[in-house]
Amino acid sequence: MDRDIFLTKVGKAAMAAALPDAPEVPGALPVMPTEDLVALFRNRAQQVDTVVHGPISPHGVPKAVSGIASGHGGRSFMAWDDLPAAGVVSALASAGLDRVAHEVPIDGRAEHQSGYRHLDLGITGAEAGLAESGSVVMLHGPGRPRMASLVPNVHVAILDLSRLHRTLANWAMQHPALVEETANLVVVTGPSRSGDIEMKLNLGVHGPRHVHVVLIR
Amino acid sequence: MSQPVSFLGRAERLLGTDEAEAVGRGVSRFATNRDQAVSAFPVMEELRDRTRTIRLRSLAHLDRLLAEFADRLTEVGGQVHFAADAAEANEIVAGILERTGAKLAVKSKSMVSEEIELNDHLGQMGVRVVETDLGEFIVQLAGDTPSHIIAPVMHWTRQGVGELFTSKLGAEYTDDPGELNEIAREHLRQIFLEADAGISGVNLAVAESGSVVLVTNEGNGRLTTTAPRVHVALMGMERIVANWQDAAVVLEVLARSATGQNLSVYTNVMTGPRRPGDPDGPEELHVVVIDNGRSDILAGPTAEILACIRCGACLNVCPVFRSVGGHGYGTVYSGPMGAIVTPGIFGMEPWWDLPYASTLCGACEEVCPVGIQIPSMLLELRKRAASEGRLPGWLEAGMRRYARTASRPTSWSRAKKWASRLSAPFSSRGWMRRIPGPARGWTDHRDFPRPAKESFAQWWSDNRGS
Repeated sequence: MDRDIFLTKVGKAAMAAALPDAPEVPGALPVMPTEDLVALFRNRAQQVDTVVHGPISPHGVPKAVSGIASGHGGRSFMAWDDLPAAGVVSALASAGLDRVAHEVPIDGRAEHQSGYRHLDLGITGAEAGLAESGSVVMLHGPGRPRMASLVPNVHVAILDLSRLHRTLANWAMQHPALVEETANLVVVTGPSRSGDIEMKLNLGVHGPRHVHVVLIR
Repeated sequence: MSQPVSFLGRAERLLGTDEAEAVGRGVSRFATNRDQAVSAFPVMEELRDRTRTIRLRSLAHLDRLLAEFADRLTEVGGQVHFAADAAEANEIVAGILERTGAKLAVKSKSMVSEEIELNDHLGQMGVRVVETDLGEFIVQLAGDTPSHIIAPVMHWTRQGVGELFTSKLGAEYTDDPGELNEIAREHLRQIFLEADAGISGVNLAVAESGSVVLVTNEGNGRLTTTAPRVHVALMGMERIVANWQDAAVVLEVLARSATGQNLSVYTNVMTGPRRPGDPDGPEELHVVVIDNGRSDILAGPTAEILACIRCGACLNVCPVFRSVGGHGYGTVYSGPMGAIVTPGIFGMEPWWDLPYASTLCGACEEVCPVGIQIPSMLLELRKRAASEGRLPGWLEAGMRRYARTASRPTSWSRAKKWASRLSAPFSSRGWMRRIPGPARGWTDHRDFPRPAKESFAQWWSDNRGS
């Protein structure tokens, strides 16, 4: 249907609508009682089955990530090009893990993606951490595949402590335009889960079965 | 739509069944989890008020926000389509899939796609559509329908799922939920990576940025919108907010109200298709904005229901939903919310009786994260059904006689005496357990208190009156 005809009809209906009056949305969010963000993040992340490591110095990250990889028996990984700590990719490579190419070609898309089927680890940075829900926010773009936090068995996110915020709403309020800068932003709150069958919790339904967050200071 | 019987007919069939009891148990747990999450979040009340403001303002400026959304999304390479009704929406999706040569489509749970019966339509044109939400996948394999808007197979047992996977997927029988989950994951993973198109719903659209937001717990929403070359998102036209800050507030109350989670596992914000230099993501992003009766709802007495964010909290606390489950409503939108949405979208005929599927106890309004005045809208629709002459003749006549009797003091006190005398043979210890005649429907499932021997008014005039 023509956009203008559609919107004109909607406009007329909105004019006629007997809706309760709504004031302006207030500028500021309600203030929450203060909490130690690191402790809260750790606690809430654990509640959603995320394993939190650190805080450690950036130099310790390659060793920490290698440890996570060997703990899961990982043999292959996908990684962002611009991880917030240096040396992670080379540490995994020298531990014998294969890095999977993450550029999906326009032709041969399905063939390339079929190679992701048995991917063990995905290593990403994080734009923000949300303490109240134990979540990490990923901003995707050049060098940052969405698939890294989606198809592997294990997702490892490296998060700088300075990027911790209280809630999604607080973070969005401080960064209102970030969603326009990228075709894809994702907030991840623990491993993939389902309670569909008799409400029994299952992890790793479609996404990663394990999520680790490495905090760096 | 399916099941051309009345709500009472469906309820009669479901009451007391294993299915209805399983759904009742399940939603009680959702309701408990919701209560815990809500009381643990120190600013829940403030954010509920804020959400109500955000949603009501979105509706008041709906045409302007939709125009802004379409402009922004087009600027970043997305394509926006407008569909007046279900038939047009289906044609648009079919056209996109035909043009792109798609034969296999994966789908992430979308209520509006069920509303327009998209799968049937695409199936007829030879496109295989695979549901990927675990519950929806089971429902599709079995040819069943969902019994709850966010937990579609609440009415299934693990043994039933095990048998289904054995017969339809050739899997070795197991009734372990973890193993059943693995079977579905393995089966669907390759389909995801090879699919030509992904079809999803939209939880929220953001006008200022042209983004669509999709939340899932399983990750099927992200796979559906990342792996295939083409992503088609379907949205009811009311599913929009002004900006990302508003969207974030709505997402905070959505997950807590739905399942008691602080946030859903995956909140996926998509602003256009894959951009130059992006390593992955869909090459095309289409958003189909669907009216299908919504502008009529907006212009009528139930406009506020369009502020609904589909969390399901009102279903979970509703005593009627808890007794019959989602199938009792016979349509995709169930529970108190569905009793208002359904007659609006699919028409009063045959859905005029759904607003009567309520005790008007008000629990729905109390838990609604948008504060929607559900009971008063149910009454509006009942009024409309009565004024359209849809009530059965005996009820109409009975109500008229009742009104006449109750509005005259002498006839009313006479009626009370008769009620007390007539009820005596059917009563024991103050309760009637079986009433004959038209009132039997009540005592089949509940007891009824016996009318008092002496009315309060009688007692007052005998003892205290001057």
